Amino acid sequence: MDLVDTAHKLVSQSEQNGASQAEAFVIRVATSSIYIDDNIPKIGDSKIEVGVGLKFILGKKVGFTSSTLLSESTKDVVKRAMSIATISNEDPKFTSLPEARKVSGKPDRFYDKATAEADSSVLADKCMELVKTAGSDAVSVPNGVLRASALEFNVVNSLGVDASSKSTIVFGYFTAKADEDGKVGEGVQRVWSRSLYDVDFVAKGEKLRTQATSVINAKPFKEKWDKIVAVLAPSEGSEMMGTLVGTAVSAENVNNRSSPWTDKVGDTIAHENLSVIDNGKSKLGLMSARVDDEGVPTQKTRIIENGVLKSYLFDSYNANQLDLKSTGNGLRRGGRDAHGAFAGMVSCRPSTLEIPAGSKSVEDIISEVKKGVYIEHFAWPLVDPLSGAFSNEIRNAKIIENGELKDQIKFALLIGNLYESIKDEILVGSDTEVHGTRVMPTMAFAGTELVGQ
Amino acid sequence: MLDVMGKAVDTIDDRDVSFADIRHQDLATTSIAVVNGALRRLSRSTKAGTVARVLVGECWGQSSITEPFSLGILENLLSKAVKMAKHNAQHSRMKINLSGIPVHQETSWQETKEDPSNIAEEEKLDFVMDLDKAQKVDEKIVNTNSMYADSKVIYRLANSEGSRLEWDETRTRVAVRPVAKDESKVQYDYAIKSGLAGYELVRVLDPNEFASKCARDAIDLLSATKAPSGEVTAVVDGDIAGLIAHEVCGHASEADEVVKKRSFLSDLVGVEVGTDQVSMVDDGSIPGLLGSFPFDSEGTPSSRTTIIENGIFRGYMHTLETAAVMRTNPTGNGRAQDYNRRIFARMTNTFFDKGTWNNQEIIEDTKDGLYIIKTHSGMEDVVGGGVQATSLKGYIIKNGELTQLVRQLAIAGNVLEILKTVDAVGNELEFSGGTCGKGEEDWVPVTSGGPHMRMQLVVGGG
Repeated sequence: MDLVDTAHKLVSQSEQNGASQAEAFVIRVATSSIYIDDNIPKIGDSKIEVGVGLKFILGKKVGFTSSTLLSESTKDVVKRAMSIATISNEDPKFTSLPEARKVSGKPDRFYDKATAEADSSVLADKCMELVKTAGSDAVSVPNGVLRASALEFNVVNSLGVDASSKSTIVFGYFTAKADEDGKVGEGVQRVWSRSLYDVDFVAKGEKLRTQATSVINAKPFKEKWDKIVAVLAPSEGSEMMGTLVGTAVSAENVNNRSSPWTDKVGDTIAHENLSVIDNGKSKLGLMSARVDDEGVPTQKTRIIENGVLKSYLFDSYNANQLDLKSTGNGLRRGGRDAHGAFAGMVSCRPSTLEIPAGSKSVEDIISEVKKGVYIEHFAWPLVDPLSGAFSNEIRNAKIIENGELKDQIKFALLIGNLYESIKDEILVGSDTEVHGTRVMPTMAFAGTELVGQ
Repeated sequence: MLDVMGKAVDTIDDRDVSFADIRHQDLATTSIAVVNGALRRLSRSTKAGTVARVLVGECWGQSSITEPFSLGILENLLSKAVKMAKHNAQHSRMKINLSGIPVHQETSWQETKEDPSNIAEEEKLDFVMDLDKAQKVDEKIVNTNSMYADSKVIYRLANSEGSRLEWDETRTRVAVRPVAKDESKVQYDYAIKSGLAGYELVRVLDPNEFASKCARDAIDLLSATKAPSGEVTAVVDGDIAGLIAHEVCGHASEADEVVKKRSFLSDLVGVEVGTDQVSMVDDGSIPGLLGSFPFDSEGTPSSRTTIIENGIFRGYMHTLETAAVMRTNPTGNGRAQDYNRRIFARMTNTFFDKGTWNNQEIIEDTKDGLYIIKTHSGMEDVVGGGVQATSLKGYIIKNGELTQLVRQLAIAGNVLEILKTVDAVGNELEFSGGTCGKGEEDWVPVTSGGPHMRMQLVVGGG
């Protein structure tokens, strides 16, 4: 199927059927994967998915449908979208699809040919490098997945948007289990990259083994520490910070007034050490593309600058409500997996959230902490983005006393409120890493509570 | 279609391939979302694809497409899968033998009282608008969110042992999420109704009662205090009991985690893991529950698996492969999210079974404690058996009575220690439908549940 032809056909057929405006999003994703089970490449997988998403607009009525076009034609899809638009209620907030803007850069700027061509046998060999490095008499790699996707999408609308972008995504998730005399420990490592060949699988394997074995000697934490500093590894801190900031600055949440940062542009909402950027053209970002999923050119948007809220993030729907321009944040794709992206409607969310690297190494940060905890891994780094509350179980952590790392601990919860913590001094590391749709370094937050079990 | 699929698996002529199957999925969904009284999404979508799998040694190859297929295309898919499986099989340590697995040739169409595809979209939309309106009970409700979704998926499966199956699954879901705000405080609550059912699920819902109560609960949470931190005597509702059953005991009882000895429940069959009041079951055959289905993704009929019986650990949930490796019967737990994803051992409807206590009796019998209700989030710990879960709210129990409302709190502890403290189990089961991921992805519809239960837990108020 020719993606460009299909997108144009969907829009023109919609217009012929009376659509006042129409938008077609057509995507092809080809993925090779390997699943690791019990130290071996258990499943080799190859998949190709082509899907379309069509917005059919009748004035202020919007109908959306999607299809893989396996058992139906573009005409069937248009007919269905039209019937949905016809019965939809008018959305008074809808004014228009985005207009065409000049798009710069080549469509394949974020595409790595070698990664796109890697089949499951190449991935299996990469995985086995990791497994062999991580494994020992006491350590195994029971679970893992590595996949490399090449994706290409086209967006066409009635207002002249006709844009495409092509990129590659590599995702991996591996766990290691250490078992010594009945005591067990687990390590977790993820791979996020746009190029398979930028990933050091041996280093990942070493880290996995170190994590799993260090947990074995963890001591139960039985105290309750108040007002301590939590130093969070990039994987954990970026997930929490990304969830919080991403929710609070989405114009969707601002317009519906559920964001705690509604009407706060220009206000100081965090410590001066904190700056956050949304970068749709991030060099490392997995969402990087020439255009967003509405065909609007991507850009760099300063969200928080030295603690001051500078901007929200907009898709066209939410921007139009405030007579502003979209910031290129109308997205359907995800950073982890692009399969199924055609089936979702555009949502207003970050592309790649970046926190610029600071000047301090992790060791520097730890040396500045009188009493705290260094956390490499939570069960899952959750935060409630509406209230900022979090209480997360620690899986891999060491306590910090007088600037030094001490005992490895287990059975403890880190409790706090991230909206409050970011108002206190934040220490920002120099070790920026990619984790999902975030590129952030190690960060240290004050005002947290460590509760033993 | 099934004939062609059957012919394709029958044409495999490769002595290294011990098993093959082809699964086709055709999904149609309707989805409606209303936010603050405005329609934000009304969509009807389809998604179809086909996946072929082959087994060589102990390794699989699988290949999927979303284009219309012919015999030639399916043969090509199988050929790609064979190539991948053979490459991986150089690491194989054994040969898995699936010959002799039960063969099923059946068509099973779900009987819904009201097929959602026969209900006008306007009627569904009116219902969601009513849900949204019903949340506006007070000016403190600053954001209303209402959702309706139905899905019908038709599966066709052919395997090299001779199974030829066609079946469908229709699910319906309704949800609301009001957000309340008072100065700088923001809180939300939610309510969900879902099941393996048609539009009859909606017919029995009173939008006003369902959504207004939820909105009032969100407002109440604005005045909730921080929960205590530390070890408490906890009475959990069926929702939280189900969360513990699912996240901790359930994931660790999925036999793929046991075969490779990753699970803390490996080698525990016959061992006492809880008090005699603790029983736990996975049952994909319960009519109407979200995690139910006639056949799993490998064509094994759903069944009831006893995991814990009166405190004694009894067994695991199996795929074809894990059952062959552990020399037992498959239990109908081999599930895949869709044609793009792997099959492995997954839960269906997982719950602690009921006991003899009246719910009110459990509260009245608790002098000081915490009544913990409504799931917020949960994460498995297959290796360590730790509980990492969050509830949306709770109440302090003082002298057998519920007192102060407390907001979101974390629940922690080691489940093998927790289950040995269970001293009261209620006589009513509650079920909550949702989706379950394994690791960090591969989402399938499931139900969790249980009765009210009293146990010792470590909690942390945030």
